[in-house]
Amino acid sequence: MQFYISILTFTLISVIAVTGIYVLTGLTGMFSLGQAAFMAIGAYVSGFLVVKAGVPFVLAAIIAVVISVIVGYIVGLPTVRLRRDYISLVTLGFGEAITALLNQTQSITGGALGFSGIPKITTLPLALISAIVCIVLVSYLKNSKYGRQCIAARSDELAAKAMGINVPRIKMTAFLIAVAVTSYAGVLYAFFTTYVDPGIFGWKKSAEWVIMVFFGGVNSLTGSIFGTIILTALPEVLRFAADYRTVFYAVLVLLIINFKPTGLFGEYELSVGNLLRRLSGKKEERSNA
Amino acid sequence: MLEVRNVSKSFGGVKAIQDVSLTAKKGDIIGIIGPNGAGKTTLFNVISGIYTADKGSVILDGKDITKMEQYMITREGIGRTFQNIRLFRGLTVLENVMCAFDPLSRYSIIDGLLPTPRRLAEEKRGREICEHYLEVVGMLKYKNERPENLPYGLQRKLEIARALTCQPKVLLLDEPAAGLNPTEVMELTELISRLCEEIGFAILLIEHRLELVMGISHKIHVLNFGKPIAEGTPEEIKENPDVIKAYLGEEEAKC
Amino acid sequence: MSIQIIINGLAVGSVYALIATGFSLIFNILKFSNFSHGALMTLSAFIGYFFAVKTGSSLIPVIIVSMLAGGLVAYIGEFVAFRKITLRSTSPVYYFVSSITLGTLYEGIVTIWVGPNFYNYPRFFQSMVVNIGGFVISKPDLIMFISSCLALALLVIFIQKTRLGRALRSVSFDRDTAGLMGINVFGIIQLAFFISGALAGLSGVFLGINYTLYPQLGNLVVKGFIASVIGGLGSIFGAVVGAILLGLTETLLINFVGSGYAPVFSFLIMLAFLLIRPQGIAGSNVQEKA
Repeated sequence: MQFYISILTFTLISVIAVTGIYVLTGLTGMFSLGQAAFMAIGAYVSGFLVVKAGVPFVLAAIIAVVISVIVGYIVGLPTVRLRRDYISLVTLGFGEAITALLNQTQSITGGALGFSGIPKITTLPLALISAIVCIVLVSYLKNSKYGRQCIAARSDELAAKAMGINVPRIKMTAFLIAVAVTSYAGVLYAFFTTYVDPGIFGWKKSAEWVIMVFFGGVNSLTGSIFGTIILTALPEVLRFAADYRTVFYAVLVLLIINFKPTGLFGEYELSVGNLLRRLSGKKEERSNA
Repeated sequence: MLEVRNVSKSFGGVKAIQDVSLTAKKGDIIGIIGPNGAGKTTLFNVISGIYTADKGSVILDGKDITKMEQYMITREGIGRTFQNIRLFRGLTVLENVMCAFDPLSRYSIIDGLLPTPRRLAEEKRGREICEHYLEVVGMLKYKNERPENLPYGLQRKLEIARALTCQPKVLLLDEPAAGLNPTEVMELTELISRLCEEIGFAILLIEHRLELVMGISHKIHVLNFGKPIAEGTPEEIKENPDVIKAYLGEEEAKC
Repeated sequence: MSIQIIINGLAVGSVYALIATGFSLIFNILKFSNFSHGALMTLSAFIGYFFAVKTGSSLIPVIIVSMLAGGLVAYIGEFVAFRKITLRSTSPVYYFVSSITLGTLYEGIVTIWVGPNFYNYPRFFQSMVVNIGGFVISKPDLIMFISSCLALALLVIFIQKTRLGRALRSVSFDRDTAGLMGINVFGIIQLAFFISGALAGLSGVFLGINYTLYPQLGNLVVKGFIASVIGGLGSIFGAVVGAILLGLTETLLINFVGSGYAPVFSFLIMLAFLLIRPQGIAGSNVQEKA
């Protein structure tokens, strides 16, 4: 039973991180290869505050997220004005820098040996409620003016600016939301596994999430979440060896990109409206791109 | 209202436009014509802020907008459509139009994450305004369609509805009749005059369909190789030998 | 002492230049950042390693094998991951995902094949240092520098002076028109990938010699990316200059603070450049395609 609770909690934490990535990549079309680094900041800062400075958990979590957002702002500042390639390259460099920093600052962070002794505070209910809250908030965001402007900026930056949309600002907003959510996921992660080390927060992890989002369907929040659930929970349950799992994902996603690039779910979103329409047999008004 | 003063723009060694000037008052329809490559779209791009003029200035209602950011220029009151349609994929027709309203929408990120009363009210207000403009161009019944599923003529109308929602003082239409059949061109002509009368802004119109431009413009500017070669009323332009030479060549001008 | 640092910086910089150039080739021809480049370096370096171990060859054959392997894998990779996207002209966003996935695939294959261990290339040189004019230079550094310069020089000659090179440049500039002119566009794309892969193989071998050989060696591709950003995305000249600068600065800083902080410095240098001169040294276009 404990095993299944553990898998479920890990999956929920991944889902939380992925909602952030959905806003960044799905809605706004930016690819960050450094999201795992923000998760690391969330994990290490909150862990450090609680373990070494005796700060209560909730406060530590808030401080960790705030610090991540500030760092994210600095990273994003020169980058959001530029073409899409730059955010990927800069976040990749950033991820490497954070990993190096964590490895080097042995006295504070334990370096490559990791940081342990974090109390176990994340429970399944906490993870579940957090995940649900994140999903709900991001859904509302998608249907708001922010969501629309993000999609517009992704679709055609020039036309978006021509409509009066402050494109760098909306990109920064999306980026910071993703950073906040991902660092929160990091907090939950640290206080669940009670141990973190720099190795788990590399660009491969960021890449893995992007892959999960595309597997399910980058344009659909529902798809991204289901993709994450399937690709996180399934191999744990089936006990794939970690290395084979990576190759398996990669091959799967390459197949999908070749044959159904919009992902398993395409543009479909799970909502009460859609469900009712499906059940009553009415033709769905949305079509796949 | 809009003053373009001696604007020039070069790319590398190529002088795309040189020393172009025009003025437009409320209610004016100004046509801009010229052979392909004459720099017409470049002129629009400079006015709307995609490029910054190398020389000269663009003044809107007394305010110098030459060096402003593109999105700020839109908010000052320049709206536009594009020659090759640039609608937002992934959004419905109504959502496309709402994108133009969104920068003016008055709620914050907190309201963006939650269904607060302020958000619901602003979204409703936005929807009403956008649906109004969709109706003005006759597209209200398509509001939940995907733009890529619509025929060309309707996509063009959508671009116009979207530009109108920016509440422009000056509307730049870049070849709005391209690809339309004669009936659609007539509809468009009628739409443009109606808009001008009802809303009272200035319209700058780039067009190759001379029956549209000549029929509807109060004044026409002709560009060739980036330089202004004539300006005047449609009648004057039709007789102008330089214009005829530019379009048809030396021989025809002598006829 | 400082000459040593400069020489080391130049040598390292020249390898970064190789990486950045391989990356720039693809960026120029298909307009996207090929994130599988790093893992490709690792894969071809390992192929070279096992060749060296099995046959006990010296450095040159190992380099050739790595380069061929890299070119071949890149060629196959283009077909598997990028061809459909180029054909369908769907959103270039999919290139990102495809390249990331391809990179993950390459790295996964290497990890399964060799495990998480560290490997060392067999000793290719009898003495590790060379005496030139009173300065002691490490042989690997010298070979790296000379080979990189050679490879880059050959590449430049190829691009500027040969017919195929001209075709490459036209496809990079305007794919559709090049096709209309009778150029076999997909053939050129495949060629670009092959060359890029060969450069990856070469840089992989040198990185393996300079550091050690391990599955995550591909992470060093970040240096190549940073060099490209500093130099100006897409400009090969910029990439080389940026790489040399990066190599020199890094070596200098490492000398004072230790190698562990190198990625932090590289990142901060990149960030600084983006704030001051985002178009890089060569002045490339930084805005989204209009």
